[in-house]
Amino acid sequence: MPVDPPADSRTSATRRARDGFVASLALVPSVFVYGTVFGGLAVQAGLRPLEVWAMSLLVFAGAAQFVAVPMLEAGASPLAIVLTTYVVNMRHYLMAATLAPAFRGFPRAWLALVAHWINDESFAVAVARRHPVDPWVYLGSAAAVAGAFLGGVPVGTHLGGLVADPARWGLDFAFPAVFLALGVVQLRAPTDWLVAVASGALATAVALMAPGHWHIVVAGVVVSGTAALVVPPEAP
Amino acid sequence: MRTDVWLVIAGMAVVTYLTRAPLLLALARRPLPPRLRSWLRLIPLAVLPALALPLILVDEGRLVASPAHPPLWGAVVVFALAGLRVNLLATVAAAVATVAALRALG
Repeated sequence: MPVDPPADSRTSATRRARDGFVASLALVPSVFVYGTVFGGLAVQAGLRPLEVWAMSLLVFAGAAQFVAVPMLEAGASPLAIVLTTYVVNMRHYLMAATLAPAFRGFPRAWLALVAHWINDESFAVAVARRHPVDPWVYLGSAAAVAGAFLGGVPVGTHLGGLVADPARWGLDFAFPAVFLALGVVQLRAPTDWLVAVASGALATAVALMAPGHWHIVVAGVVVSGTAALVVPPEAP
Repeated sequence: MRTDVWLVIAGMAVVTYLTRAPLLLALARRPLPPRLRSWLRLIPLAVLPALALPLILVDEGRLVASPAHPPLWGAVVVFALAGLRVNLLATVAAAVATVAALRALG
């Protein structure tokens, strides 16, 4: 696998970033609406708008934020909320490891900043769009996702969630749809299918047995790790 | 209460950053051994279905795999369109519309 195929170096960084941005537009309406829903819920739970904006900007992890707000409302201990956040976000380790080789040669200060914007949706877009992952496609996608989320939150803290029940409009389904669609386009070799099916099945089983957010990390590590040990390296 | 909220936000921000930055910084530096590279190539193949399938098949801690469950049909639409390499925006729009329509009918 070449580190940087010549085709990619010919296209400018701006164009590749735009490609990532445009590829992420499918998600913008859902991410925006969920931003407003989060803003609305958090204010209803007793947080001040400034606190909600700060959390969205500094934590920038939708799933963890949706989990934390009801815990805050219920008066859970700060330690419990922080630990839960950590567990919910452990999947970022896998994404960071996968994205890292694409960022070789970037200044470390850049990497420290880029890291903050790692999110499920941009990871999915970046890994599916180019082989190997293109850092600019990823950054373009992160801009679209971050813009939609951080744009939605203040709307929600002031107007309430724009849509009372996003699921009624199928907007909740945009997330699994993107993950699934971007997974499907990557299936080439029979081993790819085996890994994908095994991981989906294991994740579902873990989610059923251990509610919470362990299933992504457990299935991601166990299945990809096992396959990496079994499949010879440098397989096509 | 207020200090607590800011304390929680700060704590959440720190632990979340600790899940994102260390491996991005560490693994971007040097060429990776082949075995690690092939592992990294397999991670998206494992993580994407692990993100997607429980969102489709698990509802409030229960397995929902009956044909009356709209997300199942949404997933069929995604599979068909993504398999035909229809673009992502159209695929997601069709799947969302399918799920919304089935929920409206149900």
